[in-house]
Amino acid sequence: MPTRVVLLVVLLCAAASSRAVAHHSFAAVFDASKAIRVTGTLAKVEWTNPHIYFYVDATDEKGTVVRWACESAAPGSLSRRGFKRSLLKIGETLIIDGYQAKNGANLMDARRVTLPDGQILSGASAGDGGPQ
Amino acid sequence: MRLDDTKVPKGRPAPRMANGKPDFSGYWKGTTQTSPGGNIGKDLPGWRLPLTSAGEAALKHNLTATVDPEAVCIIGGIPRHNASGLPFEVLQGNSKVVFMYWYSYFRLVPFTPGLKHSDDPDPAFFGEEIGRWEGDTLVIDSVGFKGEKVWIDENANPVSDAVHVVERWTRPDYNHIHVDMLIEDPKYYTRPFTYARTWALGEPDEQIQEYSCSENNVDAAHLGFGPGPIRPDGTRGYIDPAPLPPPVPRK
Repeated sequence: MPTRVVLLVVLLCAAASSRAVAHHSFAAVFDASKAIRVTGTLAKVEWTNPHIYFYVDATDEKGTVVRWACESAAPGSLSRRGFKRSLLKIGETLIIDGYQAKNGANLMDARRVTLPDGQILSGASAGDGGPQ
Repeated sequence: MRLDDTKVPKGRPAPRMANGKPDFSGYWKGTTQTSPGGNIGKDLPGWRLPLTSAGEAALKHNLTATVDPEAVCIIGGIPRHNASGLPFEVLQGNSKVVFMYWYSYFRLVPFTPGLKHSDDPDPAFFGEEIGRWEGDTLVIDSVGFKGEKVWIDENANPVSDAVHVVERWTRPDYNHIHVDMLIEDPKYYTRPFTYARTWALGEPDEQIQEYSCSENNVDAAHLGFGPGPIRPDGTRGYIDPAPLPPPVPRK
């Protein structure tokens, strides 16, 4: 099994088994029909409760740079599954797969984060009822 | 994390305090056997709650005009915390017991003999709580609740300030804690109903940790009303979510 696939399996299993500290149900904020991929430059990280947020600047189809707020689980949950603050480096390019907010804001639930070296992290809030 | 209770060892006796009463202290985690999670109607046929007409109106209001109170850092209180997916921690003394919850909430329940409810208790999210022992069972009788900005569970079901909650806590063995909860709310429910649940003991190094709900609550501006869709199985979420894009192949 390729290393990347092994890592993905390990991290997603860790996410599924990590402590559930869902602050709200997934469906209260996000739209499961709006699965999106955002590729952009990491501009800011807020390693905070009740969720961590990191912000990426991505260029849309019109050539305009748009800032996306990417929401993940609480710091403690992420840290225990190996998603550490130090893995997010300002200026690096990230690929984020997740679901957009129901109200159409540039806010997404960052359920899968791909780092520049190909490492894949799960940002999902375990136990929030969102897609696993 | 919810534990599969079929894999949790049973039979080791519950620890006891110096006074002989069972000690409920521990970090307690939900199990996969509690289903549907977050639904106070879990033990009722079809999870259908016996709502009065006022209760039906209150449910409609919660679903269409309120955001999840916990998502804006309001205390969930009781009964909601007993239906929550979140673990909790108990520390027990000789005259009181403290239940500690994520989001930095706690409740402190006295069980000094002879305690009685006040004539006019100040409304509280956990109510005015009085504990007493009936053998090895700790009974917590609570009245005097808030009637606004509270949901009775994660599905946005309603609860009024008239609710009376009686919890009967036991520790059937070392690795389990159990509650039988009676809920009487004549404003919103036509009859009393019950909710029973067992939690399993966490690992020795697990405990409640620092958690500041209002530190950076970006979601507050994006929350929709209610909990979102309720699935046929009584849980919250979408039935058929769109798949994420396939993982990026490594270079």
